[in-house]
This record gives sequence, structure tokens and C-alpha cells, in this order.
Amino acid sequence: MNRNYIFLTILMLLLAAGTLFLNKEPEYNQIKPEKLLWEIIQPTRYVTTDQVAKIIIDKDPTLELVDVRDAESFNKFSLTNAVNIPLDSLLAPSSQDYFGLPGVKVVFYANDDIKADQAWVLTRRMGYSDTYVLKGGLNHWIETIIQPKEPSADASEDEWALFEFRKGAQIYFTGAKAEQGSTKKAKVTVKRKKKTAVAAGGC
Amino acid sequence: MNNNKQHYINPYLGGVLLGILVLLTVYITGRGLGASGAVKSAVVTTADVISPAHAEENAYYSKFISDDHSPMYTWLVFESLGIFFGGLLSGIIFGRVKKLRVERSPKITKKTRLIAALIGGILFGIGSQFGRGCSSGAALSGSATFALGGVIVMLLLFGTGYAIAWFFKKLWI
Amino acid sequence: MGPLIPNGIIGGGWDFVIALLLGIAFGFILEASGFSSSRNIAGVFYGYNFVVLRVFFTAVIVAMTGLLFFGYFGWIDLNKIFILPTYLAPMIFGSVVMGFGFLLGGFCPGTSYTAIAIGKLDALVFTVGLFLGIFIFGEAFPLFKDFYYSGYLGNVTLTDVTGIPPGWFAFAFTIIALASFWVTMLIEKKVRKNIKEYKF
Repeated sequence: MNRNYIFLTILMLLLAAGTLFLNKEPEYNQIKPEKLLWEIIQPTRYVTTDQVAKIIIDKDPTLELVDVRDAESFNKFSLTNAVNIPLDSLLAPSSQDYFGLPGVKVVFYANDDIKADQAWVLTRRMGYSDTYVLKGGLNHWIETIIQPKEPSADASEDEWALFEFRKGAQIYFTGAKAEQGSTKKAKVTVKRKKKTAVAAGGC
Repeated sequence: MNNNKQHYINPYLGGVLLGILVLLTVYITGRGLGASGAVKSAVVTTADVISPAHAEENAYYSKFISDDHSPMYTWLVFESLGIFFGGLLSGIIFGRVKKLRVERSPKITKKTRLIAALIGGILFGIGSQFGRGCSSGAALSGSATFALGGVIVMLLLFGTGYAIAWFFKKLWI
Repeated sequence: MGPLIPNGIIGGGWDFVIALLLGIAFGFILEASGFSSSRNIAGVFYGYNFVVLRVFFTAVIVAMTGLLFFGYFGWIDLNKIFILPTYLAPMIFGSVVMGFGFLLGGFCPGTSYTAIAIGKLDALVFTVGLFLGIFIFGEAFPLFKDFYYSGYLGNVTLTDVTGIPPGWFAFAFTIIALASFWVTMLIEKKVRKNIKEYKF
């Protein structure tokens, strides 16, 4: 019996020692270039400023807004509860915590589309799905939500309805503008937020 | 009462199986095993049944009360039910299911043992809430997943046991 | 890629069936190893029965090592698993209190369920105690609510806190565990006559 135990002890030691060498950088679930190209051509990743405004107003908790501009621009003005991940730090390990959260929709934005699109391509390549780009970026946001333009008198009903919505959104967002300074509480989506049907609270 | 030589499986085998089980559980569910949570659910349910208003106001119970299902409808309750049945199965197979009995050191009475068990349970119940788990959930599963909290609970739970063991010797040997 | 349920590979509806099955396996292993006896469990504190040490430590090192290998082979996404949150002061307090409870009661919740299954009245009383304890906790909660939430460090792992890669912990733990197995085997051999006496 002792010999078996000696064998098992050595086996366990070897296995455990093996774990010392397992320090691989996590491989991304990379997607194929063909697939990526196909997705780039599709416009499905774009979300409009109206859609985002509605989601924010509805207080939908699954939305995660990511501002990919630099910190200075972010601090001057950004969207409510947005997270700032400048494009050049997109690949940093700490930034990864904000992606791949189940059920969370990530919307990238910048002043216009370009940086946001780049962020989208990069994260898509890394295998993260459920990511989107704000069409027109903050510039368009200001044009449509903050300063919506009244449609001409003979415009369709739909256009007027849209304008009404935007007017409402304008009040919502600019009325809340006073609190805009405290974007520091942007850590809404926290890493490792696993909520399955399990009783929270340990054990 | 001294006939039987109990047949238990080799503890190392038991440990390996348990380790594999924890691994499997994490692999399937993303969480480890647990046990005390089921009793907590029972307490919350009882409170909710006896006085729903009070349960809602209570800052602790209210966290576990949901509108669409009973607080008993949780993962840990089902798992704990499983633990009971698994124990029953093993008990049957190894011939340990017998009439109701109190296990105690011959040096104390049944009453003493039961009182100690009750107090022990009360203390453990209180401690498990502060500790966010018990030996299965926090110490075992927590440590297995390298959680700092898990290791702390494991070390202190057993450490305290060792520290006070001498004072309660009579209970056991 | 695991974890299966959080990744949606197994639908949420199976949750409770799986819980039941895993629980059955858990209970079986516990009872079969001897954890349905409070005297067996308490034995680790007095040196007459090391089953707790052997099963527990073995389980932890197997699970730790296994988890790391699974992560390495890409079978599980280690970032998605639940890490027990650390609330420093209340956990320390809770663990000490649990230590008392463990030694007095001779059970912990999981083992007490298996013991009830085979007819142990002291386990039943212990579980009633658990219920009462948690109830008392809940009722008195407002008194120590702040303490309960104090010392929050987040869902931190040992690696998060020390920067040391998890493999080192697994390895160190394994060495300690294996060493303790051999030492206790030697101790037992020396007091060989006691072994038969203390199998419950």
C-alpha cells in the first residue's frame, strides 16, 4: 500500500509543479479574417443616437458605453455612465474586464465614427461579440439629441414624432447636465459580474 | 453497539473524487459547491411566510426575496437536497442507515451532546453569514478557486477549532 | 468552453437538475468518506481521525491543479468563474465563530445533511441550530449591518492580492498537503492501537 501512496504523491507533485509553467497569456477566440471582413461590410454594428438615447432613458442596465477618446476629451464631455477606454489602451488587460460580459451590449463612440469603428474591429477580432458603434459619434449626438432641429412644416408624421422624442431626450440629457461632472462613478459594469440563478451571498 | 467495523472509502480517494466534483461544478456552473445557503433560504422563506411585511423590511432577508419565485427556488436548495439523498444512498449501500441515534463520546450524556450540537449549530449559522459561506462553500470551493476570502475562512475555521479543541475534549474523547 | 451555464452552452432550465445531481454526488462522497459521523469529523482536532484533513486537502489540491490545467487547455474561461468576495473583518469574525460551532457541533452544514440521512439525531439538532443561528443573524442584522459590509476588498484571488501566479499557490499548497499526509500517517502508525478504536 505504501508504494501506491508514494507513486500517487509523486504524481500529484508533478502535476502541481506543472501548474507553475502554465502562465500562458490568454488566447483570444480569434475570428477568421473572412468573417471579420463580412461583418465590417455589414452596417449591422451601427446604432443610432436615437437608439442609444432611448436605451439610456429606459435605464437599461445591459448597455455599456465606451468612450474611446483620450481622457481629457472624456472629462470635458461624455455620455452618462460611460467608461473611458482610450483607443491606445484598448488591449490592456485591465480594459479586457469591460468586454465579454454576458448579456452586456457594448457601444463604442468617439467624436465621429472612425476611432469607434477601429475599436469595434479590434475587439471583434479578439472575439468579443455584442459590440456596436454609435453612428456619427458625439458630433451626431449633439446634432440630434442635444440640439435637435425642428423639421420643416410639411415633413412627415414620423419625422415630427422623431423630433418630439429628441426634444424629450434633450431635456433629459441637458437637464441632467449639471451632474455631468461626476463621471467618475462610471464603474457601473464591474468585472466578474456573474449573476446566474444561484443564490448570491456565498455558500 | 460495538459490532461493526464501518466501511469507509479511502479518504484520499474521497478527496480526489471531491476535488474532481468541485472542478466539474465550476466547469458547469461557474461556481463551486455550497451548503449553508439552503438553510438561509429556508430562514428567509419562513420569515416571508410568517410575516411578509417584516421580511421585506429586513435589510438582510429582503435581498433574497423575489416577486416571481419562492426564496427556496435556488440552486443551493436543490443541491442541498441532493446532498441529503446522496448521503442516504451511500448510507444505504454501506449499511449505515439505522434508527435515530445520538452519536457522542461515552464520557458525556446524550443531553449534553444534543445541547452542544444545538449551540454549535447556532454559532455556525451565525458565523456562516458573516463568513459568506461555510466549509464547503467558502473554505473548500473558495480556496479551490484561489479566492482570498476562501483561504482566510479555511485557515481561521480550522485554526480556531484547533485552538479551542483542548477545552472541549470531553465532548469527543 | 466552460463555465457551461454562464456561457449559455447549457440552458438555464437545466440549472436545478444539475444542482440536484451534483449535490447527490457531493453527499455520496461525503458520507462514503465518513463525514456523516461527528466523531469522525472532530477527530482531526484531536489526532485520532484524520479523515477531514485527508479528504479536504486532497480535494483542494486536485481542484486547484485541475482548474489551472483546464484554464491552460482552454476548457474553461477562468475570468468567468465566481470568486468569493472578501470582506476582511466580518469574514475573520465569522470564521472564528464557525470554528467554535464546528468544534462544538462536530458538523458543518453539508455533512450534517448526510448525517441526518443516516439517522443521526445530533445532526438534526445541529441543523435546527443552523436555522436558529441564521434567523438570529437576520433579525439582529440592523445592529451590525455596517460591520457586515466592512473590509470589502472585492472578488479578489490570491493572485490579485499578491501578484504571485496561481500555479505557485497550487504547488505550495500541494507540498503542504502531501507533507501533512505523510506526517499524519507516521503519527497514526505510532499510535496504531488507537486507530481501530476510533472508527465510527
